[in-house]
Amino acid sequence: MLERLRAVLPHSLMLLVAIGLYLAAMRIDTASAAVGGRIGPDFWPKVVIVFMGLLCVYEIVKRLVLHSSFTARGLTEGLTHNPAEPSEISDGVPVEAEPEREYPALLWSGAALIVGYVLVVPWLGFFLTTALFLAVFIRLGGFRRPLVTLAVSVIGAFALVVIFMRVAYISLPLGAGPFHDLSTALLALIGVR
Amino acid sequence: MDVLLHLLGGLATIATPVNLAVMVIGLVLGMLVAVLPGLTLVMGVVLALPFTYKMGVAPALILLTAMYVSGTYAGAITAILFRIPGEPMDVPLLWDGYAMTRRGEAAKALGWSLAAALIGGLASAVVMVLLAEPVAHAALKFSSPEFFSIVFFGLASVVALSGGSVVNALISLCLGLFLATVGVDSIYGAERFAFGVPFLLDGIEFLLVMVGAYGIGEVLTRLNTGFKSEAAADAGSPSRFKTALPRLAEILSVKYTLLRGTLTGIIVGIVPGAGATVSAFVAYGLESQYGKNGKELGKGAPEGIVVAKSAATASVGGALVPLLAMGIPGSGATAIILAAFLLHGIQPGPQVFVSSPDLVYTVFASVFVGVVGMCILGYFAIKPLCKVLDAPEAVVSAFVVLFCFVGAFAARNSLSDLYVIAAFGVIGFLFEKFKFPIAPLVLGTILGPLAESNFMTAMVSNDNDWTVFFTRPISGAILGVALLGLFYPIVRAALRHLRLRGRRSEPAHS
Repeated sequence: MLERLRAVLPHSLMLLVAIGLYLAAMRIDTASAAVGGRIGPDFWPKVVIVFMGLLCVYEIVKRLVLHSSFTARGLTEGLTHNPAEPSEISDGVPVEAEPEREYPALLWSGAALIVGYVLVVPWLGFFLTTALFLAVFIRLGGFRRPLVTLAVSVIGAFALVVIFMRVAYISLPLGAGPFHDLSTALLALIGVR
Repeated sequence: MDVLLHLLGGLATIATPVNLAVMVIGLVLGMLVAVLPGLTLVMGVVLALPFTYKMGVAPALILLTAMYVSGTYAGAITAILFRIPGEPMDVPLLWDGYAMTRRGEAAKALGWSLAAALIGGLASAVVMVLLAEPVAHAALKFSSPEFFSIVFFGLASVVALSGGSVVNALISLCLGLFLATVGVDSIYGAERFAFGVPFLLDGIEFLLVMVGAYGIGEVLTRLNTGFKSEAAADAGSPSRFKTALPRLAEILSVKYTLLRGTLTGIIVGIVPGAGATVSAFVAYGLESQYGKNGKELGKGAPEGIVVAKSAATASVGGALVPLLAMGIPGSGATAIILAAFLLHGIQPGPQVFVSSPDLVYTVFASVFVGVVGMCILGYFAIKPLCKVLDAPEAVVSAFVVLFCFVGAFAARNSLSDLYVIAAFGVIGFLFEKFKFPIAPLVLGTILGPLAESNFMTAMVSNDNDWTVFFTRPISGAILGVALLGLFYPIVRAALRHLRLRGRRSEPAHS
């Protein structure tokens, strides 16, 4: 049962999202369309949301109530196997591949680092945040050569500043307070004013 | 004659020093992203998009088209030499190409791959030029019901051609279509799903969905499965880095295989949402069933390399036809080329052949030059390309994240967009984990506004009569084919399920 509940978790979440979105769609102002009896700005999103909700309900009922393993798969299913090797399709049902080993700690750390970058870049500015991000991410990814990591981080961040701000003229965050001054000095160094 | 003159104009546009340099950079970048561990062709083209913001529209299109063309080739080299497919489309090359390498015929296998890419690519470029303008002219006569049906067909085909669950693909598509409705509605000006958040009023840019779900999502997926920190492949002896082109007589002996591969690539490429991977696998499947040497496929037969590579490269020309003639991307990479057009204020479609034929023919010329340039680079640059495999995945992924952030930030100079792509990165990762395909989500976000505006226009001008989509012959026919494509996998699976149940219950009865 726990297995089945886990299997319908994504569909249950999507169903909750669909319900919430439908309630939000009911608050769309339709007064401008009501005059000529035309369909309003809420019609299209409501159709999409209802269809999404119904698909989620179908999956939940199929798995939890009917205990059915029936799954319609796209037309490219089964094409991706070597004809000279035994088929991946057994009894008409594709054999699931062995699940890959997972590294949740690495995933969470990486995700935190990505979110951290977004939070910190307005304060530290692009150059400093990028250099720090590169160093920590590369170390986190299992690269064990500290000097190379340091060089890649600093030179990489500087190269990105040159490419984006000097060559592609993209305006990137400069940071706040002393970090702003540092970014400005760096930009002056590469000839951007 | 006009077509030829326009094409010469396109070639002249490329022939300027700056554009030629952009073309070479595009070809090199395309090859690198196809080979670099942790990067895919679509991701690579997405990451290159921010560099085109400040470019003129012609060099921007040349860069992305060159990347698209060469990105379909380079993965073949690593697949044949090291059994590392740069892209999913290169998987069939593992079966025959690597088998030839193990027999000591690596140079020959590389030669077959190069010849197939050149012939398939050039043939599809010719078909693309001949086909696009008539299709665009026909599309000029279309009204909103026909356009809605074409968009619906594109969306349906991306669902029908997905490899996994059709229901999950439909849910992914619905989410994409919903995301496209966020912001101020273009017909009535009504505010939808902004929840009082100012940046949501401007809508969710499909670029953010694409960069987040494909770029950040892929990095999170790779983090979850652990990075490979060592070199991915041993470079081996220098003799492996040679290409032995097949002789003309040898090429003629596989002419029907080449023809089947190229035609399949063009046709599958035209179908929105299919792209090079599906083309390569469909062509390979057809060859194994109907080819003269079909039984030998998968054991190191040159026909396996020829059919898969010619189809993958030919899909490029095919995929550009619906993009340029109707504004509907035929693959992930063409969706980004569409974004480049839109970022420069040009809407691809039938009108673009009238308003900006020079740009259309610049893209066409880029395919011709790109295919030839790709083959020259592919012939001479095998060794440095193989060295790229040594790049640690962690380093590549770190730069991918940064390119995603800069790409998202540069579009509107808004820090809020960074939060949006981080959020779509998480959604992309969860989709991958729970086997929801990402392509329908992205295509839904891109084509959603087009689908909604044509649907609403058709409904409003026909007094809310939805039968108009079925009673107009062209619209009805396209919708019919789209619905058939959607329901066929469901009916096929239902019949298979019933047959299985029947087989299981037989022993119980007996």
